[in-house]
Amino acid sequence: MMVVTDDFVEADNAEAIISRIEHKSRKTESLLKQSKLVEALKTALEGWPPNTRDERCKSANWIVVHRAIMAMKDLDALFSSLDPEYYNILMKYLYRGLSTGDRPTCDQCLRIHERLTERAGLGCILRSLADTTNTV
Amino acid sequence: MANSLRLYLTCIRNTLEAAMCLQNFPCQEVERHNKPEVELKTSPELLLKPILICRNEAEKCLIETSINSLRISLKVKQADELENILTKKFLRFLSMRAEAFQVLRRKPVQGYDLSFLITNYHCEEMQKHKLIDFIVQFMEASFHPLHLVLWSVVNYFKYYAFLWTY
Repeated sequence: MMVVTDDFVEADNAEAIISRIEHKSRKTESLLKQSKLVEALKTALEGWPPNTRDERCKSANWIVVHRAIMAMKDLDALFSSLDPEYYNILMKYLYRGLSTGDRPTCDQCLRIHERLTERAGLGCILRSLADTTNTV
Repeated sequence: MANSLRLYLTCIRNTLEAAMCLQNFPCQEVERHNKPEVELKTSPELLLKPILICRNEAEKCLIETSINSLRISLKVKQADELENILTKKFLRFLSMRAEAFQVLRRKPVQGYDLSFLITNYHCEEMQKHKLIDFIVQFMEASFHPLHLVLWSVVNYFKYYAFLWTY
């Protein structure tokens, strides 16, 4: 039983995606300055999947999300106001954060991971493991 | 520090509970063979994304899953040369007795101190949640004995230094 993997379609070129990510980064920074942490995280997680395999776009996106994740303090407020549609993508970024090895990032990601698993269940983890096409 | 260890072990436990969904899958390439696909890595459709969970720069855990097998590789913190030697000896002692453990891999994966290989046969013979409990308790226990041995070595030298000076 051989599974045929779909060919990936490049929706936009890399420069257009990076300029969109930069715009998103500016919006996230302004929301963080206004202490609207949950909105900042939602803005950072939006616009996904980016339909690209370019590592620069993924790194640029990760930097924005990382900034929003590190700014989070109140996890109860986060999970009471974050929509469930963001859970899968947040889990993927948490695993990316855990693979960096940087101590403060790992501490924060472990804290959020525990709460997110309680909220979203093991299916969320398995979806992030199984999705090998839309990686972050 | 205790809290970060608890969070690290909870994350690993949750990931293992999600990732340990193994079933029997005969080899696609060779007739009548049944091999752990995570070791061979020949067919990408049978593999899930490998997950690296780091607690800090020195401690990490790599979890690789496939359709019929799961590999967990651990790297334990070694602060100095003495701890490095003790860790190597202790983990080599365990690896040589891997058959008694059944789920232990004889040689750790490159870059790690210890590796477990769990196949669908282990999941059929043993209970999945017990296997996960074993691995998490093993990780918890392996953090302690090395520090106890180190502590006793340091105390031994302090005591004899005291005796020699007075």
